[in-house]
Amino acid sequence: MGELQAVPWALIAPLLLIQLILMVVALIDLSRIHATNGPKWLWAIIIIIGNLLGSIVYFIIGRKQS
Amino acid sequence: MSQFNVLMGKELRESWRSFKILWIPLVFILLGVSDPILNYYLMDILKAVGEMPEGFQMVMPELSPADILAASTGQFQSIGLIVLIATFVGTISRERQNGTATLLYVRPISHMALFLSKWLVACLVAVISVIAGYAASLYYTVLLYGPVQWDQFIGMLATYLLWICLIMAVTVAMSAAFKTVIAATLTIIMVIGGTIFESLIGSFLSISPWKLPSSALSLLSDYYDRTNFILNLSLSTGLLIFFIVLGIFMCQRNASTTEI
Amino acid sequence: MTLISVSDLTKTFGNQTVVDHISFSIESNTSTALIGPNGAGKTTTLSMLTGLLSQTSGSIKMDGVKDMRSVIGFLPQYPKFFSWLSALEYTEMAAKLSGVEAKQARLQSQKILEYVGLGSALHKKTETFSGGMKQRLGIAQALVHKPKLLLLDEPVSALDPVGRREIMNLLKEIQNETTILYSTHILNDAEEMTDQLLFLRGGKLVEKGSLNEVRARFEEPRIKIKFSSQEQALQFASQAELHCNVEGETVFVEIDHDQPTMQQLLNRLANSNFSIESIEKVTANLEEIFMKVVGSHESV
Repeated sequence: MGELQAVPWALIAPLLLIQLILMVVALIDLSRIHATNGPKWLWAIIIIIGNLLGSIVYFIIGRKQS
Repeated sequence: MSQFNVLMGKELRESWRSFKILWIPLVFILLGVSDPILNYYLMDILKAVGEMPEGFQMVMPELSPADILAASTGQFQSIGLIVLIATFVGTISRERQNGTATLLYVRPISHMALFLSKWLVACLVAVISVIAGYAASLYYTVLLYGPVQWDQFIGMLATYLLWICLIMAVTVAMSAAFKTVIAATLTIIMVIGGTIFESLIGSFLSISPWKLPSSALSLLSDYYDRTNFILNLSLSTGLLIFFIVLGIFMCQRNASTTEI
Repeated sequence: MTLISVSDLTKTFGNQTVVDHISFSIESNTSTALIGPNGAGKTTTLSMLTGLLSQTSGSIKMDGVKDMRSVIGFLPQYPKFFSWLSALEYTEMAAKLSGVEAKQARLQSQKILEYVGLGSALHKKTETFSGGMKQRLGIAQALVHKPKLLLLDEPVSALDPVGRREIMNLLKEIQNETTILYSTHILNDAEEMTDQLLFLRGGKLVEKGSLNEVRARFEEPRIKIKFSSQEQALQFASQAELHCNVEGETVFVEIDHDQPTMQQLLNRLANSNFSIESIEKVTANLEEIFMKVVGSHESV
């Protein structure tokens, strides 16, 4: 337990928060977009599990652009 | 001029509604904060992750604020550039390929206004992202490693922003000249390939198109060599103008390749 | 008044000639149908008129107009819109790009969208539109800047029968106010709405004129005689010494324009014991004329 307390949460927290915001932005976009390349549920999983990279990959290749 | 405003409005709307102007800065902020934090806590993290062998001692180099900003720049130069290039390399070619450009091109539009609106909005997103990324990096750097001189930081930032606008000019010009896949390949080879080439044998060259990021970093510390700074700055400015002119020309030339 | 004149318009890609020295002119406030099978060069011709493609040789002239793009409205066969814009935003942008002043662009956009029946979908994103709605939006964006010439590429081919009917009615309404040039491979549509026909085949303009002119030129009048039984029909055909086609109880007799043949036929029928149900003269529809026009150049 001592190790957990040793983690400098005050410094790490903003990092986690920004990741969370990015994930939420990706999920909001996913819910509003008309069509994606591939099934939507798959992208939802990629965004949630894939963290930073998942969101980036969704925005670059997941969105169907026209 | 009014036509340029209309096209500019269209591009801004697009980058807002596709969240480009939000998610790319967030990615740069994450890239910016990761190095100052990871480096500072590297020892603690290593200890927490695994048992160190008895008597194992790691000598951590003493890192200066300039070193940390250089590390963040390295992040922008790899993941950051790839994200920006991948996002904007289809900006003109994709519209031609999916046919949305057709209904624009049959109107009396100027290809200069078209190219400039595309490039400027790409620059806007890139510039906001880079500033956000460096601001985040700077915040943690000052907190954990010590102060950075303001004038030096601004000089570095301004120089790097010129670099990022050059990259966007190359990206959008390639998009004007080729189909998306070819444009992406060529831009990645030119930018990322060139950056790797520069890091390998750059020290033997006094000027090269890929020297601008290191030129920018040289402004942060008195130890770096700054002799060819102006020369590299001029070379990049020249290239920037060249790619804009090339892009406008290619827009015009390839208008007829739009899918009808 | 002649709105646009095209002379010797030619387009080659490599060594393939897609449009081959075609010449025609279009009068103001008329509608012209560009007819031809797939690959005849219809879309290429329209692309040159819009300025998207530049011609290999020949000229396109419009009196007193420098940049033709500013007086043309174009609807491609499959119009593609920016999915993230609403119908109103899109039409407004289109109007402004064609030089309509901002306030006016908003007004004209609303008006034209109401007119094409998208009044209830002004603020809907175009990505949610059905095929028929997209075609309506396509017509709206082509009309919003009040063009002198409306170019439509296969305006109804991609639609289902209901959508096709609706768009045809809309076009017939528009026809009264502007000049239309449209391409089609569906001849019924052309028959419905046209002042001038242009038949295109293999890149060549093989026939042109009004529907009546073309019809008169290709008319081979036939007499359709219906007998009471098939035996009678066959018997008549074998004795007639005329060009006959038998279809069940019906015989189609090809006759020349000169009256004697017609007279002979009637005399023969009057003096025989055939029991006849009906006799009528058949005029060719556009489909048959089309097959003849296309067929007569098959050997070329």
